[in-house]
Amino acid sequence: MKHTQAIFFTGSVKIKVTGHHPELFFGLCAREGITVWNVIKINETQCIGNVRLSDISTIKRLRRQTVYKLSFLSRKGFPFLIQRVLHKKPFVAGLLLSILFVTFLSNIVWDIEVENVPPEVEAKIIEKLDEYGIHPGAVKFTIGTPGDIQQRLLDDLPELLWVGVTEKGTTYQLEAVEKTIVEEPEQSGPRNLVAAKKGVIVDMFVAKGLPLVEVNDFVTPGQVLVSGNLNENQGEQEDDEEKQDKPKNFVAAEGEVIAETWYEVETTVPLKANYQTLTGENETKFKLQIGKMKIPVWGFKKVDYEQVYKETTRKPLYFLHWTLPISIVEEQWNEQAPYNEKRSRKKVRSEAVKQATKQLQTELGKDAEIAFQKVLHERIESGKVKLTLYFKAKEDITKNQPISQGD
Amino acid sequence: MNKWKQRIENILTQHLELPSDVILELPRITTIGQIHAYIENHKGLILFSESELRLRMKDGYLRITGENFVLKMMLPEEILLEGKIKELAFIEG
Repeated sequence: MKHTQAIFFTGSVKIKVTGHHPELFFGLCAREGITVWNVIKINETQCIGNVRLSDISTIKRLRRQTVYKLSFLSRKGFPFLIQRVLHKKPFVAGLLLSILFVTFLSNIVWDIEVENVPPEVEAKIIEKLDEYGIHPGAVKFTIGTPGDIQQRLLDDLPELLWVGVTEKGTTYQLEAVEKTIVEEPEQSGPRNLVAAKKGVIVDMFVAKGLPLVEVNDFVTPGQVLVSGNLNENQGEQEDDEEKQDKPKNFVAAEGEVIAETWYEVETTVPLKANYQTLTGENETKFKLQIGKMKIPVWGFKKVDYEQVYKETTRKPLYFLHWTLPISIVEEQWNEQAPYNEKRSRKKVRSEAVKQATKQLQTELGKDAEIAFQKVLHERIESGKVKLTLYFKAKEDITKNQPISQGD
Repeated sequence: MNKWKQRIENILTQHLELPSDVILELPRITTIGQIHAYIENHKGLILFSESELRLRMKDGYLRITGENFVLKMMLPEEILLEGKIKELAFIEG
């Protein structure tokens, strides 16, 4: 019986043979290699049997050589079922429409969940997401990747420390951690302000405390600039008794002492520079990827850039919660241009100053004022120029130093 | 010539224990009680009706009689017969 097992898929036909000794026709068929089953002789001249749909053409050819009459009684199996279904146009249309509809709905954002944040931050996040075009009802592939959303949210909402965006089917789940701003407890104990670096004082602003230095004084590290002890000067002159009477007058010294400081910075600048730049020319192509095959949908133009930097973003389509093997691929072809530069000595120098200034600025903080003074030393070593530069900077050199009261 | 062939075939089946149906081109008939008959190696259908099936053999023919015969399956050299089998006869000729 195994010969007739898969028959449902290939389809079968019940045929009736009419003629003298109709069973012989089936015998002929069997000899030709055609499987025949359930053969019944209903009367002397008529015989019914089943054959495969694929054998029908052979049977018709065989019949032409004989005198038998052939009629088809019933059709069974998948091919006929399909045919019957396809004949019902409204049904097919409805089926296709519903598949399309479900696919469409599967690619829409249905819900956005924000977790772990207080309501006001949640509202802000949702507002921002709305701005990006992420809201219930938005079509999914117009939305960037979760990584993008994360980055944009972090950039736009400074109160967020971290955002995790996960895409779960038609739902976007956001998890956020709010920044808790810890205020540094003000040190209220008595303290002095001492110099952290050596330098010449150019400006002073003392809010609390007793200044012990003046503008244009040269100070060395550790030297007290502003004292927290307000009695210091008088105490030396007055007698001990009086000093004991007076309550000790200590404050937390506060202020800014701007001093001119000096730095030597060593930098290395290559004489030749090679790097890639984007020229700004670009082409965007859209492709439909089915399995491994890519079908261009938009942007058929051949890109004739010499050097190309390609950015590819893939957006899969969904059907219910399954990812379809179909995805929309967006390719951005950017033109790249190599940039070769041979620098002159003068240019090297200006580059070095720029570089060193930047380096120094990060070291000293953004409040420091840096002025280039001069090149101390310069030498060329294997295609690179080593420079020692001299800088002057104006910066706040104060450092807190608590006063021990010795109780 | 034909006699020689027959003798060789006989020797092959008897001494080498090869299946006789293949060597001698004879039908192998398997029946399950009265309800099924499975005939392999036949040489063609001669007659089929509700009560009779006749198959050609190398020499003569095979006749099966009974009731309510249905050919459950027909392949080039195999036939599966279903129904109520009453009699099986080898007719030489």
